[in-house]
Amino acid sequence: MMTRVTFSLRRTRLIAFNTVREAARQKLYGFVGVLAAAFVLGARSLRDFNFGAPELKFLADCGFGVMAFFGAALVITATAQLFFSEIENRTVLTLLAKPVWRAEFILGKFIGLAFVAGVFCTVVTLLLIQVLASREAQLLRDFPEASGLGAFVSYSNVIFAGVLQWLKLAVLAAFTLLVASFAQTQLFTVVTGFFILVIGHLQYLAQDAYARGGSWLGRGMSGLIATAFPNFQLFALADGLNVGEALPWWHVARVALYALGYIGVACGLAVVSFRQREI
Amino acid sequence: MKSKGLTLLLAIVSLVVAGAGLGKFVEPVWRATREAEPALRLDSAAAAAGQGVTLALLGGFRALVADASWVRMYVAWEARDLPATETLLGLVTTLDPRPVYFWLNSARIMAYDFPAWRIETAGGFTAVSPAIQAKFKQQQGEAALQQIDRAMRYHPLSADLWVERANIQLNQLKDLAGAAESYRRAWQQPRAPYFAARLHGELLRRAGRSAEALAWLVKLHPELPTNDEGAGGPVVLGRIRDLERELAVPANNRYQPAR
Amino acid sequence: MATEQHADRVSPALELRGLIKDFSTGLRGLKLRAVDRLDLRVEAGQVYGLLGPNGSGKSTTIKMILGLLAPTAGHCEVFGVASTCVEARREVGYLPESPYFYRYLTGRELVRFYAELGGLHGKALAERVAEVIATVGLTAAADRRIETYSKGMLQRIGLAQAIVHHPRLLILDEPTAGVDPVGAAAITELILSLKAQGKTVLITSHLLGQIEDICDRVAILDRGRLMLEGAVRELVGRADRQALLVPTLPAAELQELRAWLESRGHTLEMVAAPKARLDQIFLDCVGKKK
Ligand SMILES: Nc1ncnc2c1ncn2[C@@H]1O[C@H](COP(=O)(O)OP(=O)(O)O)[C@@H](O)[C@H]1O
Ligand SMILES: [Mg+2]
Repeated sequence: MMTRVTFSLRRTRLIAFNTVREAARQKLYGFVGVLAAAFVLGARSLRDFNFGAPELKFLADCGFGVMAFFGAALVITATAQLFFSEIENRTVLTLLAKPVWRAEFILGKFIGLAFVAGVFCTVVTLLLIQVLASREAQLLRDFPEASGLGAFVSYSNVIFAGVLQWLKLAVLAAFTLLVASFAQTQLFTVVTGFFILVIGHLQYLAQDAYARGGSWLGRGMSGLIATAFPNFQLFALADGLNVGEALPWWHVARVALYALGYIGVACGLAVVSFRQREI
Repeated sequence: MKSKGLTLLLAIVSLVVAGAGLGKFVEPVWRATREAEPALRLDSAAAAAGQGVTLALLGGFRALVADASWVRMYVAWEARDLPATETLLGLVTTLDPRPVYFWLNSARIMAYDFPAWRIETAGGFTAVSPAIQAKFKQQQGEAALQQIDRAMRYHPLSADLWVERANIQLNQLKDLAGAAESYRRAWQQPRAPYFAARLHGELLRRAGRSAEALAWLVKLHPELPTNDEGAGGPVVLGRIRDLERELAVPANNRYQPAR
Repeated sequence: MATEQHADRVSPALELRGLIKDFSTGLRGLKLRAVDRLDLRVEAGQVYGLLGPNGSGKSTTIKMILGLLAPTAGHCEVFGVASTCVEARREVGYLPESPYFYRYLTGRELVRFYAELGGLHGKALAERVAEVIATVGLTAAADRRIETYSKGMLQRIGLAQAIVHHPRLLILDEPTAGVDPVGAAAITELILSLKAQGKTVLITSHLLGQIEDICDRVAILDRGRLMLEGAVRELVGRADRQALLVPTLPAAELQELRAWLESRGHTLEMVAAPKARLDQIFLDCVGKKK
């Protein structure tokens, strides 16, 4: 009798856009971005040694360390804060009182957060490339014999590493959003988000424990962790190779699909759980 | 209440099912990553624990900790603190074995600096008997070779590692045959330097195996590119002529370059 | 189209049947019944007042109407569509109690955002946004950030977002709470103009007097239960009494009037000086200055 309201990408985009706009207008997130940029640029002045390739490796490691650290802090806090600001300011009431699907809300939030993480990773990666390129040119001028070893930096790897970092942050955002969808407080969400980050980095140990066998209970626990949590170590696979050979692109593609898989499941579950949430 | 429990069950089941599938899918990439990074193995991660490293592993900041340890290693190196330098060298290469640079430099420090430090600690180059000095060089040279062997597990195709191995065998262990073999292995790796091949021949000659040296250089010469000065075609031809004279090769049996 | 119109004619703007909402209060599954077997029917075009003291379940009822809370039992329809469907929200505008919006947006951005969610786009969008902002009298402040708005301005921007997508049913939860009399009067006026446009309005308040002037019908809730329901005129009007207003009479004339009434078998029950309502005096003062 009434025409149906179908899932709308336009509304999802609107909610995503509003999420990005809210993040962009908060000084805190801009501050985190500036801080990360300052660390990447500052790494140049921290160099204690002047040996060519290892110095560039040091700069790159600093860049990715900064991206991983500030990125994770940014994504977890932004996810929790931008979700709970809707709940606490009761904007979620007026929003869902419009013809909006709860799935549109969750996906819109996720896309907005992934976009924020993407901007962060892009800025840090570009800064890092700039720092590496200028230092590389300087080194080649001062130590021309070093060029015999071939190019110092594989920029394709630096870009791959940036993309992988972004995918990791997107997975982290999806999992944090899943927690937020049922959590009662922002603090719980942030703390759980950090736990997920740590467990994700240690997930491979659970894989090993599962493979090694052991007691029924031990195997069950490690198997659960090894499958339910994503392996975040995978996303660092290009980090160390910036001075070495180019990473095969299919590695990156596979890890990207892996990330998309986890994002899909986490967002899907977040929708299911959010649909049951009383607001 | 009931529906909450159901949702939780659904969440766990779908995460486990999806995670199992995704884990299978990404397995080849993971295997390759892990082979390149021993720090991702439980045993070495546990071995490195207690050095502030566990925490860094949690956040995925391995490479950064390796860099910082490398800088700390230089501080210990300047203080000529052998145990500290040795520990930090081991830590750096365990944490981040990917840069060949770390391996090469750690082997050099072990092979050349450590014996010198030990001699100084024992009283100095004039006070310590040559036999003891040779023993120190022998011991540290062997330790350095072990370091290079470990490196080769991660970088099996590195010519630089074979060259470094040869240099240590030659300079510290005085092992002409071993060094010659290492140069030959270096030459088999991709992007090997031409001097490795020449040095293999030279060491064979010095080891008194001139006939083998000649055969090697004769086989080598046609493989060398003519348009690259560094390839040293004329030098090799000169050595061939020297060896032919030394071995009194009859004129009709002498090497005839194709070009 | 024809069937839709037909459906509208038969289905009321709102229909609640046996609505129950229990909140578990945490300890040992103890339940708090916030809404208790509520039956309500609001016909299209009415201004309907949902009255009751704090905690009587008004906001909870509204959240169930909007599908924000799932009823423990019972059923709830908006223009014949169950509240559990997203479709039920197409024709509804909602102003929550003490609204608090995206602080980082300007008033115009906020209304625009909700308008787009409500399905407006293109040229109509900007026009409609400007129009509703003018309707609530915020044109001058439209490009200021919401964090700089006063309580009354928040309430008005909240009204703007509630009406921007031309809903047929407006649900206003305590729209005048914490608002000064001028603002409250403006909101009252707006509600009456919405009624004139044929909209249905559901309004809650615990300030009963305020509602009296604008509502066609009211329901009174207490502890989640419907205590009284009916047309305002029937509930407050007394058909067997009348008040006469005359210039103050000298004592002798008053005595004469009393005697005249008694001669016809009536009694003069009360003589008193009528009081002006303070809010009316306030409005007259402030209004004159403008
Ligand atoms: N989310 C909730 N959890 C538990 N109790 C609630 C919740 N929301 C409302 N209540 C309780 O339900 C009752 C009705 O609340 P409400 O509908 O807000 O009343 P009103 O709007 O009439 O003031 C109150 O006793 C309140 O404490
Ligand atoms: Mg209320």
